[in-house]
Amino acid sequence: MTVDQVSSVADRPRPAASTGRAPAADRPRVSMTARRHRAFYMFTSPWIIGFALLTIAPMVYALWLSFTTFDGISPNWRFIGLGNYSELLQDSVTWNALGRAGLFALTSVPLSIIAGLGLAILVNRPIKARGLFRTLLYLPAVVPPVGAGVAFKTLFDQNSGATNGVLTLFGFDALGWLADPYARYVLIMTVLWTAGNIMIISLAGLQDVPRELHEAARIDGASAWRTFRSITVPLLSPVLLFQTVTGVIASVQTIMPLLLAPLPGTGGVTTVPESNYLYMMHVFAQYFALGRYGYASALLWVLFFLILIVTGLIFKFTSGVVFYNVDPEAKK
Amino acid sequence: MRSHSGAPPSRRRFLALSAGGAAAGAAALSGCAMPVSTGVSGGGETVTLMVKPEDISPELVKQAQKDTGITIKTVQHDITKLIAMLTSGNPPDLVRSVGAVDAAFFAARDVMEDLDPYFARSSVLEADDLDPVNDLWRYDGRIQGKGPRYGMVKDFSQDSMYWYNTSAFDKAGVEYPSETEPVTYEEWLDTAKRLVQRKQGQTTVFGGSYSGLTKATLFTTMTAAAGGSLFSDDFSRIDFTTPEARKALAWYIDYCRTKVGPSLIQPDPNGWDGPTYQAGRMAMSNNGYWLGGMINTDKKLAPVSRLAPAPVFEGGPRISACQGGTGLWMPRKASNKDAAWRIFEWFFGEAPAKERAAGGWGIPSLKSLRPLMPAQEDYQKRELKVQQEELKHFSVIAFTPYTTADAFDALFNQIATAAMAGQMSVDTLAGRLNAAINEQLKRGKEQVG
Repeated sequence: MTVDQVSSVADRPRPAASTGRAPAADRPRVSMTARRHRAFYMFTSPWIIGFALLTIAPMVYALWLSFTTFDGISPNWRFIGLGNYSELLQDSVTWNALGRAGLFALTSVPLSIIAGLGLAILVNRPIKARGLFRTLLYLPAVVPPVGAGVAFKTLFDQNSGATNGVLTLFGFDALGWLADPYARYVLIMTVLWTAGNIMIISLAGLQDVPRELHEAARIDGASAWRTFRSITVPLLSPVLLFQTVTGVIASVQTIMPLLLAPLPGTGGVTTVPESNYLYMMHVFAQYFALGRYGYASALLWVLFFLILIVTGLIFKFTSGVVFYNVDPEAKK
Repeated sequence: MRSHSGAPPSRRRFLALSAGGAAAGAAALSGCAMPVSTGVSGGGETVTLMVKPEDISPELVKQAQKDTGITIKTVQHDITKLIAMLTSGNPPDLVRSVGAVDAAFFAARDVMEDLDPYFARSSVLEADDLDPVNDLWRYDGRIQGKGPRYGMVKDFSQDSMYWYNTSAFDKAGVEYPSETEPVTYEEWLDTAKRLVQRKQGQTTVFGGSYSGLTKATLFTTMTAAAGGSLFSDDFSRIDFTTPEARKALAWYIDYCRTKVGPSLIQPDPNGWDGPTYQAGRMAMSNNGYWLGGMINTDKKLAPVSRLAPAPVFEGGPRISACQGGTGLWMPRKASNKDAAWRIFEWFFGEAPAKERAAGGWGIPSLKSLRPLMPAQEDYQKRELKVQQEELKHFSVIAFTPYTTADAFDALFNQIATAAMAGQMSVDTLAGRLNAAINEQLKRGKEQVG
């Protein structure tokens, strides 16, 4: 019996029970479909109301702010139309920060996917204490970013950090890891440190690859690399696409550079070394350090559209290479 | 379309209902946003204070209830939250701020209550008992330091002074600075260069730290010490290219480049001088009397620590300003002003004020409380003597109402790092700072009107 058949059986009118209750004809009839719809809306409405209140409303408010000079407190703010957007187009600091954010995404996303996938392949093998390794490798991903920031700052401090302690032990001079030109590498390390997130998702994907495909390939004489390239990667491609899209969105929104900055707090946002002064740092500085709510809101709306465009482009350019393990007919 | 009562809502209707629900929810939320209970509640009144945890302990909150019958409700200090509360017309009754940089900013935006009428009828906070530092909380619509009082300092220091560790001087064979006569800034830097200790690219002991409370106050006070003013007469512009401001800027960039102390290009992992100085890894620390509160709890550190007068520039006046002056102010739209004032009096003139004065974490803001400052140990007597001499050189250095110190610092830090690293000349830096900060001041002036 199919789901539709179950549904149609459930929808059939039933005879009134002989227990003295009002006959069905006297009560409004509620079909199973109607009840299912109602249940659906009841279950989803908290999310939809929350989404409207906490996402749509702030976005609309930010859009309105982006057309003003509002600074949160001063009495004489005014409506300036597209003035903030026009200023943004001519602001070289904005474009440089955006360029650095793009470069960071281009570097950190592939590296973290490769690292996460590599770890997943390792812990997918039948090795001793596999569960322990999986746990240990995933652990950094559950450390809150603030804690990770403090740990990395302590580890890479020029005068008292353990990293320079090791360098000086071997006779090398200490390096200013948290300043340019090394700060960008430390930032990438913070991303790779949390590759356990990607490892877990990739591991789930790997375990979904049918074993018989690998066995067939082995019988046909395919090498391990060829099997990985022609069987594992195509079957993992939806997972990799998911990781790419979410990775790009997360990387352009990262606040990790702020957590590695020399000075804490809002004033410290502009102490972020230039190579780590990404787009979100600029937004943060405009909002909280300079009190330019209007301009910062315009920056955020531009970022929102850029993310939409980039996400759309990723889907467009990967549509031919992502393998969906579903019956194409079922989509129709 | 099905119309009977059992019909499911259409998607469109459902979304419309959701939007309606969201709008109603939003209205309800805005109505109860940041509720501030300042009216009569139950047995007594409640006053909301936006402060930091260190400003008022839970024990003091209980003490307030006992002493005044008023319940204190505290809200964690957060500038974004404060702005939201002020904008929604539901501000706290008393707010913590830094008098040196915040008083003119908030007063110019007309969000502060003029406290002159309250002071006039107070028997706890009398005008002739107020230390001159409280003038940081005055603003006459043009200049800080004159006009109505909008707040009061809880305790203070002269923040251009510095502490030094005699052990570090002995180890390096350097003569101690005088405790009565100020050194010049150039001499201070030379001393720091002789005291700094380095090994394999690491600084093991900082020669000295000198960065002020904020960059904004550092440069306003240092420019004043060079005999000039960082701001134009109407506070709508800055100029780092005047000889006095340039002298201050050049000195600070030199301090950063020589890496004798913490700066943006050589940050102190502790985030502030206290733990580093206490660990014997800093020979001189630019902090005022208040740091004695920490130093004097360490029985090994206290006897080897000395407080010294604020440095001067060759040929410049001897000026020793307060760069902080943290205190409380009352929002103009506070809903429980009389009860708030009672707490204000209690906080600044009664039990908490006496406790602060005896703690040694700052100079009391009432002259009558000065006898309570700690002077039991020899080193406390010594520090107190230096401090009392330094008070003769106190003056209020006015700050602009058109920007926050945070914004000033953010712009300075963004632009000056290259100069600190030797990649930009001081003159280029001065020009860039003028352009960026004057743009911020221009926006601020337009907003204030």
